[in-house]
Amino acid sequence: MSTPVPAPVRRRPIRLAGVVVALLTLLLATACSSAVDELKSSSGKRQEGGILRVGALQDIVPARIFTNSSDAINVLIGSVYDSLIDYPRDSLDPKPSLATSWKLSDDGTQLHLQLRDDVTFHSGRPFTSKDVEFSIKTWADPTWTVQLQRTAAAVTGFDTTDPHAITLTFAHPLSNIFDLLDMLPIIDKDTIGQLREGKAFVGTGPFKFASWSPGSKISFTRNDDYWRGKPALDGIDVSVIPDPQAQVAQLRAHQLDLILGASYRDFQSLGKDKQFQVNQWNGAEGQVYVGTNVTNPALSDVRVRQAIAYALDRKRVVDEVLRGAGVPISTPWPSYSPAYDEKANATYDYDLTKAKKLVDEAKADGVKIPKLPLTYPAENPIYGAIAQIAQADLAKVGIEVELDPQEQAQVIQQLIGAKFPALWILSHGYANWTPSTLAVSAYPFNADHNASLYSDPTYKAAAEKVWEAKPGAVDPADYAALNQALLKGSFLLEIAITLPQDASSTTVHDLGQTKRGEPILYDTYLTK
Amino acid sequence: MTASVTEPLTPVPVGPVPGDPGPVRANRLRHALLHGRGRVGVVLVGLVLLLGVLGPLLAPYGPTEQIQGANLVGPGAGHWLGTDELNRDILSRTLYGIRVDLVVVFAAVPVGAALGVLLGLVTSWWPVTDVIAQRAFDLLLAFPALILGILITAFLGPGVFTVAVVIVAIELPVFGRLVRTSVRTVREMPFVEASQVVGATPWWVLRKHVLPNSLEPLTVQLAVSMSVAVFVEGAMSFLGLGVRPPHPSLGSLIKDGVRLLHEAPFFAAGPLTIVVALVLGLLLISQSLAEARRA
Amino acid sequence: MTRYLLSRLGSALLVTALASVGIFALIRLVPGDPVSVLAGPDATAESRAAIRAELGLDRPFWSQYVHWIGDLARLDLGPSYKLGGDVGSLISDGALNTVVLTLFALVLAAAGAIVASTAAVVWDKRWLNSLLSAVNTAAVAVPTFATALVLVLVFAVRFPVLPAGGTPPAGFFSQPDIALQYLILPGLALALPAWAALTRFLTESLRTELRQPYVTTARALGIPRRRIVLTQALRNALPATVTVLGLQLGSLLGGAILVEAVFAWPGLGRLVEQGISSRDYPVVQVLLLLSVVVFVLTQLVGDLIHAWLDPRVRLNGVS
Repeated sequence: MSTPVPAPVRRRPIRLAGVVVALLTLLLATACSSAVDELKSSSGKRQEGGILRVGALQDIVPARIFTNSSDAINVLIGSVYDSLIDYPRDSLDPKPSLATSWKLSDDGTQLHLQLRDDVTFHSGRPFTSKDVEFSIKTWADPTWTVQLQRTAAAVTGFDTTDPHAITLTFAHPLSNIFDLLDMLPIIDKDTIGQLREGKAFVGTGPFKFASWSPGSKISFTRNDDYWRGKPALDGIDVSVIPDPQAQVAQLRAHQLDLILGASYRDFQSLGKDKQFQVNQWNGAEGQVYVGTNVTNPALSDVRVRQAIAYALDRKRVVDEVLRGAGVPISTPWPSYSPAYDEKANATYDYDLTKAKKLVDEAKADGVKIPKLPLTYPAENPIYGAIAQIAQADLAKVGIEVELDPQEQAQVIQQLIGAKFPALWILSHGYANWTPSTLAVSAYPFNADHNASLYSDPTYKAAAEKVWEAKPGAVDPADYAALNQALLKGSFLLEIAITLPQDASSTTVHDLGQTKRGEPILYDTYLTK
Repeated sequence: MTASVTEPLTPVPVGPVPGDPGPVRANRLRHALLHGRGRVGVVLVGLVLLLGVLGPLLAPYGPTEQIQGANLVGPGAGHWLGTDELNRDILSRTLYGIRVDLVVVFAAVPVGAALGVLLGLVTSWWPVTDVIAQRAFDLLLAFPALILGILITAFLGPGVFTVAVVIVAIELPVFGRLVRTSVRTVREMPFVEASQVVGATPWWVLRKHVLPNSLEPLTVQLAVSMSVAVFVEGAMSFLGLGVRPPHPSLGSLIKDGVRLLHEAPFFAAGPLTIVVALVLGLLLISQSLAEARRA
Repeated sequence: MTRYLLSRLGSALLVTALASVGIFALIRLVPGDPVSVLAGPDATAESRAAIRAELGLDRPFWSQYVHWIGDLARLDLGPSYKLGGDVGSLISDGALNTVVLTLFALVLAAAGAIVASTAAVVWDKRWLNSLLSAVNTAAVAVPTFATALVLVLVFAVRFPVLPAGGTPPAGFFSQPDIALQYLILPGLALALPAWAALTRFLTESLRTELRQPYVTTARALGIPRRRIVLTQALRNALPATVTVLGLQLGSLLGGAILVEAVFAWPGLGRLVEQGISSRDYPVVQVLLLLSVVVFVLTQLVGDLIHAWLDPRVRLNGVS
């Protein structure tokens, strides 16, 4: 670059600048195809095939592939794998997928499923009842830290004599057995070792896993032999872009077609732009909450936890942070859930006087409240905003909080291991499913072992009661008891239901999403 | 970004002219600071300093105070620079944020410089310690400033203190090397050799000849290093390694502002102006000092 | 010359060797245990021990170190702990992106600096000098991340003429014209401070050069000023500039971390960040060593060029 000045220039020095300018212009002129124009497409005609470019906030973590804990994992599971049944997003009425029909025994402890006989894995091997057994047993294995592990482990008998039918026997009736069958991806037993290393993901789904460059990109190609028919797209490229701002910028620059992670404010502003479409997926709700480690001496007194619950300005969070895409809550359930109780849900209102009173009472009884760390994932801006709002309000009632932003992966690890020192902010799912799924499965709620380390016989009994029942046959009084137990413990302080959103360019059509939050890209097509 | 971490990039001869009477030189530097570019620099830095020191008196609100209902308000009579997405007054946050940078600039840099000078002076006298120290400085200089920052944060966790430690670690070798060059130049001077012949101790030579003669390049480097420190704070806060939320620093404010640049372009303007003013002021000071030295 | 070369080479090797030990030790002192990150929270003591043994973390420090150096020498870096994939391929993928970006920025900075400073010296117009000085100071005084973001907002969002970030979809070499457009914004953001430093240095050197007696002689012989600048002065001033350029390389690599963050550019800067936060020892230690090697090499090359061009340095061994 610093080579001596070219010979001809020496005679007429003024030319130096001229030559450089000319060279640069030439360089730009030869760049006749504009990168931006190439990325833009506007004719509105349906395109055959094409690659859908997706932006995700978090990368896949092979060891946590079955935990729905990252948006890239959601794309992977939703595209590469099928489940036995599918719930429509807005109901808990199972629809056929790899299983064509099913029959539950009268006592609710046996389920017979008829399986499709025309399905093959991406490796070419036909799908059989043995694969169902293997998949359920994988989920029952604690090393995969699957949230529905207990439900999978309660499936004790597998009759696989018929390769295209299976009879499952349960230890006791499982009210959420169809939740399990909807969430559980059918995996290939031959490649489980490679799956663990992130080298191969073999399923029966509409797209095949092609490659993964950690921290950067995951590629999928179309499965031409998909049993539902050939998907419209040629493939999917998921780029891992941990900065929501960068995702928005790349969507606006037409370098991405679909972004999964952006702040609600960004979605709001993208929604106003005609070139983009913001989708809201009702039925796949999440719940953002403040978790408490009840073994922390300052938080072991329920009055302190209740005080925190009263100090959360839920309405402000919904209005200012979620930009209206949410509902303030005290109990986890959305309004259509069988466990929803309007009165219980209104238990905690924003009331700083009450909160202060509770803190003062606890302090008078000798509870010492030092400065408490509040952990949250740094990547997603909504957590940081909620944490700072909570911090300001808690300071007013006499609880000092120190913010502790960490990487999402680290936070999830502490959640799974119940290692948070004091307080944390995160989202949970599962309240939109059969209520027992939440109570016995979700890390923050699991009555057996939860992230709050809260253990209470009443809560445990209430959770088991709604779990060990036949699907659809749970007594509403039992749900009321569960709500009572949750509010009595107040170990997990709900803030708001969050309605998931994503944004896509208007050239993307027929996007879908499962109840689990996985994008359905099988029908998706692009226009030019 | 970290362009001037390593060396002052103007081709100045490092060795000062020995025997130059001290007071005249001091006058020359003072003159440089009070006229032309130097004066602009001093005024800029002084202004920022004043804003930072008087911040608590000038700020209409607390730095973390959330004002009810004032969500992302544009600049206006109530909030001169508007409010952020958590209803905080940006002017107040900026005024308080300056203080973090002042600590970093006027405490961490001098500490790093002093340590570097001391180490450089002491070690450069004996060949063995000189080699060891030089290799150690090489080693520290071999890491780009931000990599050093990320590494140190892995040990200490994010925070103002970490930023200060990083800056000390960045500046120490820079000053160490600078002093060492002066030492080597001065030692070759006939009068120094002569004083050694008549029995002057190393310490005496260092104090009487080396230090006075290296003060000028050190002053210039100090101003350069201070501007680098502002950048390092900004960059570290930008990557989330600087001050912890909710406390403001200029870097974290710019980061927040940048996040909202599309909806609220006014947000980043205030803190960015201050950073540019501070860096510009320090640069002008260093340039005018360097010029005065050569004149 | 040989003696000088050998002494420089020796000290470069020494620094690298010391650095490798230091980095290896330092990385192991970082709080957080990779085994617990890998094994997951519910792992039993046995499975932890098994993982520890598999990674060789149960062996004594020096044995681990020697093993590592052996692996390095064979260029077999093994799998990463956390980021997945092979350390070698992780780093080579990232390195390609970073090297392309950094070299592009370096070319931009060097070309820009030569044009700006020769123009300033040849024309020597007051307005031009003031303008250059102002642009120069601004380039130094505005932080890289701010420049980067302003560039994105102006050229990718407000007037979408260039991509907002990411690497070219088809790679750098199959469609150079497209690749160039992906490089312009991050390259510009990265190059600006380096350009400012180089311009200031080169202008200053050219001015110094013009005060030399040979210039006066040449002027007296009637050779036009601009011709002297371009033929003699520039050639004499360039060697020192190359050294400064080398110094800039290190800071460009540092700045690349920020630029890569803003432009979602999957390079080494992002890898360092991710590697440290996920305690991925194998990745981080190689990256840190790499940064030391790059620094030592650029210094060495700079010194050698300097020595080659300046006999005083070569003969006296003064660096």
